[in-house]
Amino acid sequence: MTVQAGLARLDFLLCIMGSSMSEAILVVLIIVPFLAALACFFIRSTAFRTFVVIATVCVLAISSLLLQESPAGGFGGMSAGIIDPVITCGDFLLLGIMFFLGCRYRHPLIVMLTGGQLALFAWLEFFVFAGGQGPALFQADVLSLTMVRVVCIVGGFICLHAIPYMRAHEEHQKLERSRQPGFFAVLLMFLGAMNGLVLTNHLAHFYFFFELTTLCSFLLIGHDGTDEAVGNALTALWMNAVGGLLLLLAIWGLYAQSSSLDMYGLVVSAGTGRAAMLPLALLILAAFTKSAQLPWQRWLLGAMVAPTPTSALLHSSTMVKAGVYLALRFAPALAGTMLAQGLMLAGGFTFLAAAALAIGQRNAKKVLAYSTISNLGLIFACAGIGTPGAMAAGILLILFHAVSKGLLFLCVGTAEQQVRSRDIEVMRGLCAIMPFTGMIAVLAVLTLILPPFGMLLGKWMVFEAGADNIVFYLMLVLGSACTLLYWVRLAGTLLTGGQTAGFKPEIKPFLTRFPLAALVCAAVILGLCAPALYAWLIAPLTSLFDAITTFPAGQPLSANRAGGLFNAQGAFPLASLFLVAALIGLVAMYAVRKAMAGKKGSPYMSGANSNLPDHFLGPMNRPVRAVVENYYLAPLFGEERWTLWVNLAAAGLLLFILGGGLWA
Amino acid sequence: MGVMRTAGLVLAALAAAILLGGLLSGIDRRLTARLQSRKGPPVIQPFLDVIKLMAKERIVTNPWQAFSPVATLAAAATALVLFVFQGDLLVILFVHMAGGVFLVLGAMASPSPYSQTGGQRELWQMLSCETLLFLIAGALYLTTGSFRISGVSDLPEPLLYRLPLLFAAFFFALIVKMRKSPFDFAACHHAHQELVRGVYTEYVGPHLGLLEIAHWLDIVLYLAICSLFWATGATAMILLPLAAYVAVIVLDNVSARLTWRWMLGWGWGAGFILSALNLFWLKG
Amino acid sequence: MGLLHKLISTARRRSSWLLHFDCGSCNGCDIETLACLTPVYDVERFGVVNVGNPKHADILLVTGTVNPRNREVLAVLFEQMPEPKVVVAIGACGLSGGVFREAPNVVGGVDKVIPVDVYVPGCPARPEAIIDGVVLAVEKFRGKSGQKGEGK
Repeated sequence: MTVQAGLARLDFLLCIMGSSMSEAILVVLIIVPFLAALACFFIRSTAFRTFVVIATVCVLAISSLLLQESPAGGFGGMSAGIIDPVITCGDFLLLGIMFFLGCRYRHPLIVMLTGGQLALFAWLEFFVFAGGQGPALFQADVLSLTMVRVVCIVGGFICLHAIPYMRAHEEHQKLERSRQPGFFAVLLMFLGAMNGLVLTNHLAHFYFFFELTTLCSFLLIGHDGTDEAVGNALTALWMNAVGGLLLLLAIWGLYAQSSSLDMYGLVVSAGTGRAAMLPLALLILAAFTKSAQLPWQRWLLGAMVAPTPTSALLHSSTMVKAGVYLALRFAPALAGTMLAQGLMLAGGFTFLAAAALAIGQRNAKKVLAYSTISNLGLIFACAGIGTPGAMAAGILLILFHAVSKGLLFLCVGTAEQQVRSRDIEVMRGLCAIMPFTGMIAVLAVLTLILPPFGMLLGKWMVFEAGADNIVFYLMLVLGSACTLLYWVRLAGTLLTGGQTAGFKPEIKPFLTRFPLAALVCAAVILGLCAPALYAWLIAPLTSLFDAITTFPAGQPLSANRAGGLFNAQGAFPLASLFLVAALIGLVAMYAVRKAMAGKKGSPYMSGANSNLPDHFLGPMNRPVRAVVENYYLAPLFGEERWTLWVNLAAAGLLLFILGGGLWA
Repeated sequence: MGVMRTAGLVLAALAAAILLGGLLSGIDRRLTARLQSRKGPPVIQPFLDVIKLMAKERIVTNPWQAFSPVATLAAAATALVLFVFQGDLLVILFVHMAGGVFLVLGAMASPSPYSQTGGQRELWQMLSCETLLFLIAGALYLTTGSFRISGVSDLPEPLLYRLPLLFAAFFFALIVKMRKSPFDFAACHHAHQELVRGVYTEYVGPHLGLLEIAHWLDIVLYLAICSLFWATGATAMILLPLAAYVAVIVLDNVSARLTWRWMLGWGWGAGFILSALNLFWLKG
Repeated sequence: MGLLHKLISTARRRSSWLLHFDCGSCNGCDIETLACLTPVYDVERFGVVNVGNPKHADILLVTGTVNPRNREVLAVLFEQMPEPKVVVAIGACGLSGGVFREAPNVVGGVDKVIPVDVYVPGCPARPEAIIDGVVLAVEKFRGKSGQKGEGK
């Protein structure tokens, strides 16, 4: 461990001394989290750990903003001589650890999958990959930049929130020996791994970071050590190991076809024959497991047993985005093929099915998990549509989804710590007992479903781009309707409540409130900036697609003078809608003030109201609590009923994707 | 002066829509009364209702009950204004749905079981009728190549000829939106009670008045979308929606309220399948 | 301002919504009340609608003597009605308890619980009398300014 750290530090120094600012920032982004993780793990002082986490988060956030967009084609390779062996050793170590875990927990699937990966990787590394000058090491195009900023900034906020959260978590568990050092070490290491994943241009390095995130996920899901947690962690491990194996096979196929591990080069020079399409199909399938798309959703649902920072960071904002990142990275190579059609339909189907399954869920975290799966399906579909506009929509969706969903996970986690339950019905009326958290949760939900915010804008773009394919459009429409239903139901449940005389203000640590407030402001402000973001995205994407494929590029959107986005197909008057929304907010707040100054009302309960809130006078004049629950319609929408069929259909679509590769 | 002209147009459109919506609502009550062998209230009755409501005392159980009516009305008005300016039908529908979202949030804000259940049912109603409108937008795109409403006036023949099944689905959505039997289980219009007043139960006085006006604007929007089906002649553009409106009122008076299973199964399910078939036929 | 007042006043006269509550009546007065909604008498032509919800109602029509069990309910319903509001007590029972006023489980008249604006006598009260009472109540409703505590 220390030798590697020393080598890495030497590398870091060389970079700082010799090369450009960008490489230095890249090294900071990838190496600093690993160093910080070591510090957290070995130095067991709480104050020091808090300082390290906060400092790392700040360094990462600033670095990600300072990172410049690199010209197309990747850059950097000077330190390849040192980095390559380090990563190869890391790979073997990683796969070895996973194999060992499989043996220790007697999990035959993990043993087989990781053993297979070990064997394949060893063979590839020693007998297939030629030595000599490797590809350019890094890339920082608009996709990577967006992902890096999401990881560092949204991830940073989540880490800040985790500090008081884990303290309270452990207080509740009454542990004798704190496990926070390990938790934060893995969390920080994960940030480094994600940064590496999105910034690397070397496919084998990508594989290393991909598998490293799998290990981090395993460690974090099983953190609490209960039987359920360990079981779910193992499920996550084997499903992601399937992805790892598929990825390795894809890398082999791609290398066999073009003798290159340069990601940018592979995208640009991909042909359309079977030799090219089959590895790409395997790549997409690997991405599907990472992003917990149907039929691989079980591991993400099981991962919800983990503490909230894990769910927020890995399982909504960043790790699961690694899969869509991969798909979007290779989207120009797929454009117009049957494989892309399959990808679009599979993504659309996941969007619909996961949304429908979320309707039947009472567990708040599972609703959020299904919703994440659903939105990731939408982004996969963007990759399948294959136009620069669709890809820009996908990147915007990544950004807005990460911000709002991460925020929502933090709110639900904070709420769960207080009410000690994940049932939506127990969280009914949260705004009365936790006004700050409850209100922000409701606002987060509104930014996910309402115009003019970013998620709706992205969804509109997908509607416009995908309307040519009727089956896809039908799935979009249905999925969108289902999405609205479960979100409004959740938000409505949180804000139920009569006027209670004098509630206690919610007292929470600064590091809990600050990330929530900052993220909700970010969601709104980023929504306002969406046209500017789109303009920043569309130019390089258009030239990328133009250089690679002859598939018609469709109509990218342009900004008009009134601050909206439009093309020949339609128009979204963004700035006007924001203005209207702001006016509505002002007028409505005035109406609220006027109404609250008046007489206090009581809910209508056929006149039998008792003086206890929410209670009516029942038999023998005793107060009875009026219990109303939401319609979950579990027999119609429940996961018990539909999971099998939905998985079968999804597996069929995956075969369709594979067919797109085999019969290209 | 572009801004002044736009603002003037917006205000005029809204005033006309409110007038039209109120009159339609009055005609609804008058026609219903006549079908029931009664005299019924005068056609301007809805306006008198709203004025009376605005002058009532404000009582709220939860601040959202005061917030939501403003938001719902503004969303309905914005959607209508976007329609008048021949905007993108998808955006119009998204903005229109935002109004429904706030209505349900305000209903769910109160602990009253009637309001809560009404809110849940309203969500299912929204799922039913809004989905079908999005399919109409899809059909618009497939026939004109764009989601903009302005595209429909360039067509050689009325959309109704090519979208008959979709019109049937739209008719179902209109019944649901107008809160008429057989699909009015979230809230019913006056005197037919469904869970007291369902989703509107806890809204009081001026807040209820704003929601009433929002409902009028919603109906006008739906009828405007109906007019897209025969956009080739001015008379047809007025007669088709009126005919649909009257048909809904007649159907309301001859049918009983059905449960959500009927609404989802035979209403929405059938409507969705018919629409999908129509779209495939259109493309192929 | 005068014009606005006149407008509101006219609106109140021509659009009054009522809530009908039975406080232990034999249902005789209730049947007569509901008869007013039928096509024969049709109070909707005056803009009167029977909403079942105190929060939407302007006029509270009460039949029956009040008994200890439903006096709180009556009070709560009256409380939940927003101002301005009027109360109409229908039938002999509503006025004073009628023939049951000596009974031990009878409070004896609506005005023992809430302030009443209009009394409609009869046992049962005829629909024409009820409509007369409602019309009188509407006039009173129109006259109220919406301030709480405006008495009979």
